[in-house]
Amino acid sequence: MIAWLRSGFSSRRSRHGLWAVPLVIVLVLVVVLTFGTDQFASRENLFNLVAKAMPLLIAAIGQLFVVLVGGLDLSVGSVISFSTAVLSLDGPVILLLPAVFVLAVAVGLINGLVITRLNVHPIIATLAMQYILLGITRILRPVSGGEVPAIVINAVQGNFLGVPLPLFWGLFAVGLAAKILYGSRYGLHLFAIGGGVAAGMEDAARNYGIRVERNIVLAYVACSLFAALAGVFLAGRIVSGDPNVGLLFELDAITAVAIGGTQLSGGVGSLHGTVLGAFILVLLANGMNLANVSPFIQTAIKGGLLLAIVGLQSRKKMGL
Amino acid sequence: MANFLSHPLLRRLAAVPPAYYVFGLLLLILWLARPNMLNPNVLGIFIRQVVPLGILVLGQLLVMRVKSIDLSGGGIILLINYLITSRTFPEASGQDFIMMALVIGGSVGLLNGYMIAKRRVSAVIVTLAISIILVGFVQFLSSGKPPGDVPKYMNNIFNISFGAIPLPVLFWVACAGLMWVVMQQSVYGRFVEAAGENAEAAAFSGVPVERTVLMAHVLAGLIAAVAAIVQTGSIAVGSVRVGLDLPILAVAATILGGVVFGRGEGGVWGPFFGVLSFAMLFVVMTVFGIGDPGKLIAQGLIILLAAILYGRRSGRI
Repeated sequence: MIAWLRSGFSSRRSRHGLWAVPLVIVLVLVVVLTFGTDQFASRENLFNLVAKAMPLLIAAIGQLFVVLVGGLDLSVGSVISFSTAVLSLDGPVILLLPAVFVLAVAVGLINGLVITRLNVHPIIATLAMQYILLGITRILRPVSGGEVPAIVINAVQGNFLGVPLPLFWGLFAVGLAAKILYGSRYGLHLFAIGGGVAAGMEDAARNYGIRVERNIVLAYVACSLFAALAGVFLAGRIVSGDPNVGLLFELDAITAVAIGGTQLSGGVGSLHGTVLGAFILVLLANGMNLANVSPFIQTAIKGGLLLAIVGLQSRKKMGL
Repeated sequence: MANFLSHPLLRRLAAVPPAYYVFGLLLLILWLARPNMLNPNVLGIFIRQVVPLGILVLGQLLVMRVKSIDLSGGGIILLINYLITSRTFPEASGQDFIMMALVIGGSVGLLNGYMIAKRRVSAVIVTLAISIILVGFVQFLSSGKPPGDVPKYMNNIFNISFGAIPLPVLFWVACAGLMWVVMQQSVYGRFVEAAGENAEAAAFSGVPVERTVLMAHVLAGLIAAVAAIVQTGSIAVGSVRVGLDLPILAVAATILGGVVFGRGEGGVWGPFFGVLSFAMLFVVMTVFGIGDPGKLIAQGLIILLAAILYGRRSGRI
């Protein structure tokens, strides 16, 4: 237990990365906000906080999959906007909802295949996808509007046994990702592939018989699927389709993953770290609003925190 | 397909940076559709618009050749634009502003370079974080309100043109030429090439890899500062959103120009034509009345196709 906790403070000893530092930050933030402000610990604020955190959390979990194999997905924000646009089209919900996820699978497949089969760098491939998908989204829905199916709105805004439904969305996403990453052979393979890439031995996982290409493609599909889930959630929250709702979301997702101690070179990172990273971002924004800190300096503090945490994790190799 | 693509002639043709093909194709389309648009006065004005991007690209291609990336240019442009237009320094002259811009760009570049080359931190995250900090800082200073006007003399200099050729375009060509000389003739240019191709081999051959990467980021920061001044001259009123999409566009133009992470067959002129292609794309889209969505899709497809064709030839990039 103690060894496990200690490993969370060092990026060198553990496959999970530097996750204990973000844990300490979350605890400090919660304590300071609880005692420093009146409203923070109120039921309403906490519920609001959870609802705010969920889209970021879900998108960041998706991003974690591709970061673990040493990749990066810049198309997350466009997938989110695209999903809200598709969901707000005229049509029966029984068609629209599956369509959102089928299209997300298609986007993930294209990303993954272009990267693995056609040897395009992940940043370039997903950047191109970001442009293309944003263009299509703006054709579908030039300005925000349209109607989101009632079932989606109810699934996001309601309560169940006094617990707000967004919490269940988060638990579902975290549970699903935990099962895939820590309870399946596939999850183990992701860490193996990323670890090889980070150490400069791209063929290491392949030599152990892992189907590297196929697993990387599946990571991009998973990332798009989680992004689409975040998009459906956001559509339920804003009750319309919005071509700009996902703008720059990919950068927030990457920020959450990196603050959670996951290394962008691959192979080192953790789900609990990513959950903590997402909550740090939301707690910072919420807490500083309550403490009347200018919303504009919040951005600067977020950047400073990101820089400080990645500064703690030096790597062997230089690079992206 | 694979056999067809490995034909020597096709391989030779695929070695040409995609930017030249795209530029030529767009020029052809324009010539066929609206020949009267192809006069130097009209094109000069369109090309003048992309000069800030074109200058920023010169820094981006340098850091991408050493397998790094710089996303902080947007923050640098925003901060310098704010400081010039907000009348924070009412007494400052043009030279003062230029000095100030270079100091800001140089120090941001130095911080980037130190974190990436010495501390070995992820380049994407470092430059992204610095950009977030700078953007937040400007928003804090301005409280989200747009700052004041751009000094008149900056607009006047930007609007000078010799015949049909605007001064900013000449300045851009001169900067690119200087960059080309540095890459071709200087020892530092050789270091950049060696460090990008294989950092380990370069280090064993006595190339100061860390210093080369650090220097690349300092130069990229300085170049971003120059781009910021040109960008400021191109607008009449300051803004708190100016230039934020430029770094990603610069990455796209650099790739189009045949420079990818660690490899640089496109040299300096490939990315130069990458930027020109984006300018031409804008002209063609405007001529055909295609709106913003179509432009985004075309841009994405061009980047994707360029990267696919280029990736085939050069192996893993």
